[in-house]
Amino acid sequence: MNPSIDPLILGEAADWMVQLQSGSATDEDRRAIAQWQGRSAQHAQAWQRAQAILGDFDSVPAAIAGDTLKRIGRKKSLGRRQALGLLLLAGPATWLAYRQKPWQSWTADQHTATGEQRSLTLPDGTRLLINTASSLNIVFTDQVRRIELLQGEVMITTAKDPAPSHRPFIVQTRHGTARALGTHFSVRVGEQSSRVAVLDGAVEMLPAHANRGLTLKAGEQGAFSGDSVAPVQPLDIGATTWENGMLLAQRMRLADLLDELGRYRRGVLRCHASVAALTVSGAFPLRDTDASLRLLQETLPVKISSLTGYWVTVEPR
Amino acid sequence: MSSPLHLPIQDLYCEHHGWLYRWLDRKLGNASDAADLAHDTFMRLLTRQPGAGFGSEPRALLTHIAKGLMIDSWRRQEVERAYLETIAHLPEQEVPSPETRWLILEALYRIEAMLRDLPEKTRQAFLMSQIDGLTYAQIAEQLQVSLVSVKRYMRDAFLACLSVA
Repeated sequence: MNPSIDPLILGEAADWMVQLQSGSATDEDRRAIAQWQGRSAQHAQAWQRAQAILGDFDSVPAAIAGDTLKRIGRKKSLGRRQALGLLLLAGPATWLAYRQKPWQSWTADQHTATGEQRSLTLPDGTRLLINTASSLNIVFTDQVRRIELLQGEVMITTAKDPAPSHRPFIVQTRHGTARALGTHFSVRVGEQSSRVAVLDGAVEMLPAHANRGLTLKAGEQGAFSGDSVAPVQPLDIGATTWENGMLLAQRMRLADLLDELGRYRRGVLRCHASVAALTVSGAFPLRDTDASLRLLQETLPVKISSLTGYWVTVEPR
Repeated sequence: MSSPLHLPIQDLYCEHHGWLYRWLDRKLGNASDAADLAHDTFMRLLTRQPGAGFGSEPRALLTHIAKGLMIDSWRRQEVERAYLETIAHLPEQEVPSPETRWLILEALYRIEAMLRDLPEKTRQAFLMSQIDGLTYAQIAEQLQVSLVSVKRYMRDAFLACLSVA
């Protein structure tokens, strides 16, 4: 599931994490860490993994995390075998409980952390690229190929199947469905609506509470809420370049650009009202949002209040 | 004929899905749970490192994965139960909204998985640092160990987390 990383590199990452948290880290250490990350893809992945671990701890209120973890039985004597025996004794009722979680996302097959992107290939060869802070279920049976997008965004490249499959390929969101055939498209679910961008092939959008849908062709994008479909628009290519780790802005409002970048970093990214309407064009790396912010600082009359903190504000210079 | 070492997943699915489903149905005594778990098992197999073969005993691999998933679900229930107990003691305004609840549970589950095999003291020191925000010096004082030991605990814990994550 996870790419394997050389244990030696993981050990070095652990050393650096300790050094950073020990309270005695110097600016030189920080520079050395930046350099260390750049040594290879594995180094970069190891560091990303370390940040994801901190992210997990950050996302749980301290009072809840401490208490909950204390309540979880530490049955050290209970090996995997015994644990399994217990589970089997518990029998069907236990399994029922597992499947009837009151919140849907418990069954989410895939979940990405903030700043993480993950790709995977389904049995028919369809490729998924799951964007930052997303979760989805994969329902893949003899009758149906369905992705239930609970949060975030996914890019789908369905397989070019020589024998056309009879199974429809559907992405389901809380607002309705997007149904595809032999295509390359992305779906992003938001509070009010789901947005679909089609790079290749065609996708039919069908709101959950509407009788008719709307078909998008390659080079088009659209959106639907639970009961209506918005008019078709030409594809904004910038909406799909996250696939390559870049955000492409074409005359984008600074406030909108920061909203986008904010999806890929932990903490709060705010925009001062007096610069919100500045227009920005350019390509911004999503895997290094600090670099993206520096880029803004160099090209626009703005300054960044703090690059490392949890609260970052983009202000007039 | 492809050799068992190079079975594509589709063939593996066709040949063994029915068998795995019946095996799980016998173990769990519940057809729909067995179907879900058989499905999850193949999904897990698909999302392993690409290129990894299925070995010469595909059924052994499938039951191995399925057992792991059963244990996972048991662990998840543990975490869920502990979480529900915890929030039952919280003032209402501090109880997370249903929307954030699953995010918290997912994070807790990953944390539990990362820490589950750590020695008690290492785990304790790590939680004091990551959750309570204590400095290494404060931890050393509370646990009555040297600063060097605290750093060693932290390194061990980070390495365990990085290896699991």
